[in-house]
Amino acid sequence: MSRSLVKFAAIILVIAAILYVGLYGLDFTDKVRIPGVLDEDGITQGLDLKGGTVIVYKAQTDNPTDDNMDTVVSMLRTRLDGQGYTEATLTRQGTDKVRVELPDVQDAQQAVETLGATAQLKFVDSNNEEVMNGSDVKNATAEYGQTEQGLSSSSYYISLELTDEGRDKFATATQRIAGQSADNTNYIAILMDDQPLSVPRVSEKIDSNSCIITGNFDAESAKALAANIKSGQLPFSLEQVEVRTVSATLGDEAMKNAVTAGIIGLILVMLFMLLFYRLLGLMADIALVGYVGIVLIIISNLHVNLTLPGIAGIILSIGMAVDANVVIFERIKEELKLGKTVRSAVDAGFNRALSAVIDSNVTTIISAVILWLLGTGTIKGFGITLLIGIVVSMLSAIFVTKFLLKQMIGMNVKQLWLYGINGTRQEVGSLKGGKA
Amino acid sequence: MFDIVKKKWIFLGISIALCAISIISLIVQGFNLDTDFAGGMAVTYEINEAFTVAEVQEIVDNALGNDQSPSSVQQSGNEVIVKFGFDNSLQTDEERSDFSMTKIAAITSALQEKYGTPAPAEDANAVDENSEDTAAPDASATPEASASAQPDATASATPEDSEAATAEASEAPADATAASPEASAAPEQPATGVVLKNQDIVSPSTGQELARSAMWMSILACIAILLYVTFRFEFTSGVVAVVALTHDVLVLLGVYSVLQLSVDTNFIAAVLTVLGYSINNTIVIMDRIRENTRHARKETYGEIANSSILQTMTRSINTTITTLLTIGMVYILGVPSIQVFSLPIIIGIVVGFYSSVFVSGPLWAMWRDSGVKNKKKAVAK
Repeated sequence: MSRSLVKFAAIILVIAAILYVGLYGLDFTDKVRIPGVLDEDGITQGLDLKGGTVIVYKAQTDNPTDDNMDTVVSMLRTRLDGQGYTEATLTRQGTDKVRVELPDVQDAQQAVETLGATAQLKFVDSNNEEVMNGSDVKNATAEYGQTEQGLSSSSYYISLELTDEGRDKFATATQRIAGQSADNTNYIAILMDDQPLSVPRVSEKIDSNSCIITGNFDAESAKALAANIKSGQLPFSLEQVEVRTVSATLGDEAMKNAVTAGIIGLILVMLFMLLFYRLLGLMADIALVGYVGIVLIIISNLHVNLTLPGIAGIILSIGMAVDANVVIFERIKEELKLGKTVRSAVDAGFNRALSAVIDSNVTTIISAVILWLLGTGTIKGFGITLLIGIVVSMLSAIFVTKFLLKQMIGMNVKQLWLYGINGTRQEVGSLKGGKA
Repeated sequence: MFDIVKKKWIFLGISIALCAISIISLIVQGFNLDTDFAGGMAVTYEINEAFTVAEVQEIVDNALGNDQSPSSVQQSGNEVIVKFGFDNSLQTDEERSDFSMTKIAAITSALQEKYGTPAPAEDANAVDENSEDTAAPDASATPEASASAQPDATASATPEDSEAATAEASEAPADATAASPEASAAPEQPATGVVLKNQDIVSPSTGQELARSAMWMSILACIAILLYVTFRFEFTSGVVAVVALTHDVLVLLGVYSVLQLSVDTNFIAAVLTVLGYSINNTIVIMDRIRENTRHARKETYGEIANSSILQTMTRSINTTITTLLTIGMVYILGVPSIQVFSLPIIIGIVVGFYSSVFVSGPLWAMWRDSGVKNKKKAVAK
């Protein structure tokens, strides 16, 4: 008996420790640590909780290749970084779409359109013949200052650094164009996606590896354009087919309510199990606390992107988690009613219920995996939390609860009432008399 | 002993009726599709002035103009949600995205004209500028677009007046300071005027793709479950399980169609959850049937099914209760967006309980017993 008591106490301590780590994390040193959900870096909140903007771009071309789309993603990455959206995440969606998530960004109107632009930079002469294009540009930066000597006002402009090849092209072209001053066609048009940015006049040969583009820019448009020029030209243009913004306050409130709902739900389920299955229920409750702890540890350490449906999935899984226990306990009760000893009833109950537990969970796992792999956005988030919930709950019901029950039996707790059975064995047995 | 299998026609009748109503409703009135599916714009504004919905509706209608599918304005507290669809004449994604940007900017500036702007005057100018641009076909409502639209004008008006624009090969003039004073105008404003809080712009094609991908996910899940159950049990059980599943999803869809509840992306996740979870009870019953069949001697399949259902009844009820306790709390305490997600799950769990207990067992018994009868007939011949 004492050995069982020690084991029982040990597992309770372990479960308490798991819950503690799940909540508060464990810091070995500053760097070697396990974050808990209450830590700053504990939960990776999805956009619907944190607030921000989601943009889905669709390639404006038929059947883009995988390579093309990968290029698009990496170029978008550069453009985003260039505009200071370093927190942004990019994912490919389907065959021709890219999903951009900008956390904390409420007003992304600006970003939305420039991000998807082809960014085809062209310098053309009066005959619309190309002189130079984006590939001749080594670097582009947005700057602020006087664009011309003697001009009193300052403005934003884009400074280009040309490649050697670009410098040669530019020198040749400007020499030629400067010669056209007679018929007033000595100008170069700088086009961005076929929209003129500026149309400067050329009066002499320009042999330099830098040049500037002026235009009606403000700080942000200049920066965005520079980033686009620098990242290069997309193989095709992108149009946003979906733009969503969520304010952070909405997510905050949602999170708080969901957590409250989860705690109350958890308590109700624990009470229900305790009232209905008594000692068995208590064991299930202890295992359930361990389950919650493990799930918390997993979501805060695998950095699962937690969305609102994801939280609902976790809370739902608390209700589902006791399911395996219910199946097993009902079976144990049946075995007890047949007159078996507590020990053999528990063994038989577990063994016989095992197939039902596994089969019913696997079917749910199938759905969760499909949601996780094929779903997008919040659906994906829900799929992963559901999957974690089911797998952990199944294992906890099978192993943890069984271990706890074994120790109970080891401690000689054998009153049938404690196992959820009312009346004496004979009465119970006669009730089931008709069974084949 | 209560005999569910003998009274099967009552239960099957209820199910068939529910499915029939669902199918008819789905065909006749379909779904009340949210912006997620139908495509369109849903914009939330916070208005920190006294306003009425009718007032806002009028402003919105004026801002949108005539060439427009009807808009709706809903109020919750000091926020209004303005929803409107795309113009049907818009063909390409580009046209649609320009359209949405332009129209939203138009509504925003119209509302701000009436109820005031939250930010300093500078920003208000920016907004006005945008709304002026709306006439130009290619201009969309971002400052970028207006920036690029202007040089356009310069270009067409002969290059002479482009003095301001120089490409003089240059050492970049004067030391440029990267600091951008206006760029950081956004932070902390007092709560006045009209603030655009949320905006959802969804192209119609997105909704269709979403529905298509949801359908594929459902079909895939059904096939995978059918295969698994056939492998672990036998084919009859697999088919019965999938029939029960289809029943649950159909009735769930039916409830949403009959009551015209709004259907969005999260609804799909909920339906797929029901798909995975409602089968739980069925599987536990099938597991019992599998076990009882092994020990059975003279019992008919009907008797086996019935005793299996009754033996697992407490468990079916209790599991349903614990699941409803948690998801029910989410529904009661949650914010609207999470309620929208939990309601279909609640409906699905209840329907799933019904189909597992009252439909799947009897169906299985009918099929197996008919197999027996056919064999007997064959023997008699």
